[in-house]
Amino acid sequence: MPSKKSLHIESSGQLCIYCGACVGICPLNCIYLDETRITFDERVCTRCEICVKACPVGAIEID
Amino acid sequence: MVQNLTTDVLVIGAGPAGSMTAKWAAKRGAKVLMIEKRQEIGSPVRCGEGMSKDWLKEVEIKPGRWINLEVEGARIYSPCENVFEINERHAGNEVGYVVERDEFDKQLAIDAANAGVDVLLKTAAVSLLKEGNRVVGVKAKAFGEPFEIRAAVTVGADGFESQVGRWAGIPTNIAMRDMDTCLQYRMTNVDSDVRYCDFYLGKVAPGGYVWVFPKGEGLANVGIGVQVSQVTSPADARTYLDRWIDKHPGYAKGKKIDMVGGGVSISAPLKQTVVDGFMVVGDAARMIDPLTGGGIANGCIAGKICGTVAAEAVHSGDVSKEFLQKYEKGWRARLEEKLYRNWLAKEKLVTLSDETFDKVIDALAGVQLQKLSVHNILKAVRDKYPEVTKEFEAFL
Repeated sequence: MPSKKSLHIESSGQLCIYCGACVGICPLNCIYLDETRITFDERVCTRCEICVKACPVGAIEID
Repeated sequence: MVQNLTTDVLVIGAGPAGSMTAKWAAKRGAKVLMIEKRQEIGSPVRCGEGMSKDWLKEVEIKPGRWINLEVEGARIYSPCENVFEINERHAGNEVGYVVERDEFDKQLAIDAANAGVDVLLKTAAVSLLKEGNRVVGVKAKAFGEPFEIRAAVTVGADGFESQVGRWAGIPTNIAMRDMDTCLQYRMTNVDSDVRYCDFYLGKVAPGGYVWVFPKGEGLANVGIGVQVSQVTSPADARTYLDRWIDKHPGYAKGKKIDMVGGGVSISAPLKQTVVDGFMVVGDAARMIDPLTGGGIANGCIAGKICGTVAAEAVHSGDVSKEFLQKYEKGWRARLEEKLYRNWLAKEKLVTLSDETFDKVIDALAGVQLQKLSVHNILKAVRDKYPEVTKEFEAFL
């Protein structure tokens, strides 16, 4: 199986402002906002990186 | 263990569109439950807090303490800061209020509750209940405890990051070019003018604009929207906004006391907003005006129609997609033409160069436009910069 890049959402509050921009744009509906916690479904995410662009504060990284 | 519930109409999300839907369904005699995942309706605010006011009577929202101040007009700045002022003479009653969004949302929820709506806080929908293709309610969690709510009609009013629309099979996905990523600071000690909402166009905010909405006493909401497809590096929204503030001494001296972000859809209207037993409304239904980014008015207007139709469906015993078309037709008749027109205008605006913006605003600033219409704007531009009009031939 090809290895996926690593997606990291900084949602401890150092960068993330819990605005939901990433949740709304995710084409696979696999990012979840739960008050002050953002999670994503590792198995569904294809690392398309759209959320990285949608985040207004740069809290999402892919490497 | 939380008890399972049954209701006529279930509304998911207690923002303006949700509260309006709930209120109108209850006023028309339905038993209505509205659920909100947060602990406080209206908070945290994710909004620029500027809105027009001519539509409030139509949906029976009364003025209240949610009005922060009333502005006289709007000023549009081109990249070299030619300025065009839109005032009540052009815009009639379109010019509007700067509001306290948290108070506004709470007032609408109170209006809904007073009409008989039950409200549950800290209650999130986690999936839809379906019988065949028909939506019959949700699996929910209240204070973390799972339970079910069965409803004849379920309404998704869960905002920009809507999930329930997609769970119901309505394609509410948006492309990068159809969304602006937004960031806003509440700033104090700034030189904003309480008579105007200000908008700065061009490369200061690619595919969007910088806004300044005055809150009085040196306070203002200073924000930016950038089209996601024009973002070139992470946190561009913040970078562009900070750069704009740095270049404007009247704001660079200010202090930031609050920060909010969010996504705004700038897409053409959705093709479909109903399925059997289900409707989607407001930002969740991509009803935001794609030119201005405003979502409150359209969400409330569509919410009234949505709630009214929901109650009629319950009374008639027919919650099929065919019956709910009445909502689909209703909101389109009221909103779609303007949504589509403004989408076309936005599609053009995001392609304009700074030089063109400068010329257009300069041409408009130099004439006394009686009424703001596409025809009048193009005529003013043609008289002064005939070469620029070529870019707008499609509109003629």
